[in-house]
Amino acid sequence: MSRPRLGVVKFASCDGCQLTLLDLEDELLAITDRVDVVEFPEATSARSKGPYDLLLVEGSVSTPEQAEEIVELRRRSAKLVTIGACATAGGIQALRNVAHHDSWRAAVYPEPAWIESLSTATPIAEHVTVDAELRGCPIAPGQLVEFLTATLVGRRPQLPDEAVCLECKRAGRVCVVVASGEPCLGPVTRTGCGALCPAFARGCYACFGPRESANVAGLRRGLVADGMTAAEVDERFAGFTAMAPAFAATASKAAAAYREGTVAEPTTDRVEVDDARR
Amino acid sequence: MTPSASMTSTAGSAAITTPSAAEPAFLERHDLDALIGALQAGDRRVIGPTVRDGAVILDEITTAAELPAGVRETQAPGRYRLEEGRKGRTFDFTVGPMSPKRWTFPARVPIGTARREAAGTTFTAATPDAPPLAFLGVRACELAALDVQDRVLLRGPVADQDYAARRRSAIVVAIECTTAASTCFCASMGTGPEVRDGADLVLTETQAGFVVRVGSDRGTRLLEGLPVRPATEAERDEASVGVAEARSAVRANVGVATTGLPVRLEAALDHSRWAEVAERCLTCGNCTLVCPTCFCTSVEQVSDLDGVESTTQRAWDSCFSAGFAAVAGGTFRSRPQDRYRQWLTHKFSTWVEQFGTFGCVGCGRCVTWCPVGIDVREELAVIAPPPRPSLPILSIPAPVPADGAWLRSARILGSHRETSDTVTLTMAWIDAPHPRPGQFVMVGLPSFPAAPISVSRVHDTSIELTIRAAGPATAALTALPTGSEIGLRGPLGRGWPVDRMYGRDVVIVAGGIGLAPLRPLIDTIVDDRLQFGAVRIFLGARTPRDRLFTSELSAWTEAGLLVDETVDRAGADWLGRVGVVTHLFDHSERIPEGTIAAVCGPERMMEATADVLRSRGLTDDRILITLERHMDCGVGLCGHCQLGRFFVCRDGPVFSLAELGDTFGREGR
Repeated sequence: MSRPRLGVVKFASCDGCQLTLLDLEDELLAITDRVDVVEFPEATSARSKGPYDLLLVEGSVSTPEQAEEIVELRRRSAKLVTIGACATAGGIQALRNVAHHDSWRAAVYPEPAWIESLSTATPIAEHVTVDAELRGCPIAPGQLVEFLTATLVGRRPQLPDEAVCLECKRAGRVCVVVASGEPCLGPVTRTGCGALCPAFARGCYACFGPRESANVAGLRRGLVADGMTAAEVDERFAGFTAMAPAFAATASKAAAAYREGTVAEPTTDRVEVDDARR
Repeated sequence: MTPSASMTSTAGSAAITTPSAAEPAFLERHDLDALIGALQAGDRRVIGPTVRDGAVILDEITTAAELPAGVRETQAPGRYRLEEGRKGRTFDFTVGPMSPKRWTFPARVPIGTARREAAGTTFTAATPDAPPLAFLGVRACELAALDVQDRVLLRGPVADQDYAARRRSAIVVAIECTTAASTCFCASMGTGPEVRDGADLVLTETQAGFVVRVGSDRGTRLLEGLPVRPATEAERDEASVGVAEARSAVRANVGVATTGLPVRLEAALDHSRWAEVAERCLTCGNCTLVCPTCFCTSVEQVSDLDGVESTTQRAWDSCFSAGFAAVAGGTFRSRPQDRYRQWLTHKFSTWVEQFGTFGCVGCGRCVTWCPVGIDVREELAVIAPPPRPSLPILSIPAPVPADGAWLRSARILGSHRETSDTVTLTMAWIDAPHPRPGQFVMVGLPSFPAAPISVSRVHDTSIELTIRAAGPATAALTALPTGSEIGLRGPLGRGWPVDRMYGRDVVIVAGGIGLAPLRPLIDTIVDDRLQFGAVRIFLGARTPRDRLFTSELSAWTEAGLLVDETVDRAGADWLGRVGVVTHLFDHSERIPEGTIAAVCGPERMMEATADVLRSRGLTDDRILITLERHMDCGVGLCGHCQLGRFFVCRDGPVFSLAELGDTFGREGR
């Protein structure tokens, strides 16, 4: 039996999800025994343009060039799996979808004309068919191992779409919302992280994106009843998975508040002031 | 059980008597460590309450110092906060987010392993890894929950081996509650706060220590090794008072009406509340995982990369996740309302059929630990309300006797034309008590007989009289200019029983000028809106031009009153309803039981309205009308207004149909 050819590639992203694979210290050797890593620039200088039996794709589509490249990669992959919040929901950079792209670009880059970027950052699934998604910022090592194991064994990977709360309670954690009034997005967020943030007395900030049946309006009302302002709740959704469809409406309200002057949109003037200081 | 009365002695203290199993013993607070030590014998782990992450949780404890001394909590739907408890108390709290279920039925346990090798495939069942445990501080509701899980996991046709191993080895030391949280409803579920059975030892805390009762042979043996003495009568009394206080506190809480509940709930599967609660419910499943009786699980596979060995483990699951009811083609409970209904009907209805007990013990965890504070008690009261006890007969207070004073002069402060034949006069009020809603005054002009006129509004120093020109006297009154003086006498008669209407739903039905005596009632409701339930106003007029007080209708609507109008006849410019006022009921929802109706209009209209109200379930004592009769004196002396045993001016004009009986609507009375 020939070993499956594995590729790992990235688009607009920070590389953290790919590194999760390298961080699998206990399983990495067993995995490399079972698969042929043919493309993984973070790990090996050996390169391959495919075909791939399994391609792990990190990052969102942020430039016209990437939009073409992902179509070509899909053509060369038997199974294409997206990893991480950028690839599955657009990532933090997708906040630009509801901002003024040009003014931000002008604020960040001294010569914006040299920057060729799309006005949106979009998940891979908006461009090509995706066979599976691993959520999170970054992805959970356990879910990556489970996915690779199930794929090698030939069974359906167990990637539950339920709320974070279930794993939080199985782990015996005290609910931070009820016992401390800490805003937590766990009830609307997909499980997989092992309820990491509540273990450190912090509320979930939804880096795994929406669960099935995410009742965002219900949670929003609940958090407001607990004393948060509606604007604070909206802002909490405006993070790594802000543009996931179930969150986008709420997160966009935060972006709109930003535009309407609660927080000023950046201008080139500000950059010039900063330059002058330097 | 053999009573033991052996005498032992310990160094440095007086002789200690081990009391008989039947008589309660007393354990000093500083001897709790001796109890924990005795429980630890044989490498037994002691699971008890301790404070962590802002809550009293359960964990392994090794000394009494780890117990949450001096701590109590407040609980409310969706809220839990620790605070300072009674000084010197060790168990001054109630239940936290965890229950013994976490140890008797852990969140994840292996159930078997499969191994594929060249020689063949082998399947091996997991051996329960159940170290002996002792639970310290188990509450009455938690004992009941253990019993519920025993019924499910031990006493059914198939016993769960893992649960059996953990449960059988566990020692249970209960503590009776001497305090209750607002979310506790053990008393209504019949599970507490008193501990009856299911524990090896039962402690009840007093200021000095613990009254200890024995609940099993194992408890008797345990007690023999403890530094206890017989409890004094005062100590036993103090313990009973503490538990009685907890009982009163629980009884004061909202509970669940359990009688007939399984059947009522089964009959309410199509209730609209399921969809409404689903708007609030996050389907996060917290309620099910903090519940001490929920037993649903799913299996998970843990495979190795080579596909040689895989372990199947069982993990707590929840009927609130879509995946819980999923098959290859989809999920049977795709809507959150389906999942909430599944959970609630299982707990309070189908569970009873399956296991002979409710799946709820009244611990209140699902109420407190719901992040949006959904309260099962509240939902059950709406979805499957208990049959209401029959309402007491509405009695209308007797009228205050009016004085027999003669007319007093009063000035017309303003005159406002309402319709072609109807005028509202604003009158300076005379030196007399303010008229109450539904009362009337006698209005006199020189040369004319005085006429009874309903008060249509009451101000601080003036009243309004809305008068239709129906005869010579009223025609003269409606024609008077501002500044004129007329004679007033009153207030007279018995008005609407406003005091009896507080807290009730009210239906007001007016025909034509009949709205005038109802308007002070409406004013009272608008001013004091929160004191009334749902209020609906049905108005009928002959034509659109005969409608009264049209400028006020929007204010009533804004105050949350539902106003519906109809006219008998109309031209093309009328866009509203046409027809008699009773037809408005065809467009309204059902009338809730206990509603009080106040009706005024032509007598035929009131008869027809009464028939409709009766057909909608209102009893005669709740249908109030105000009658018109010939009145000359206004104080029950002239005899004109007699109706059966009543003088309408003195005993009415407001009556309930129950009071009038057959006299109402009878030709010629």
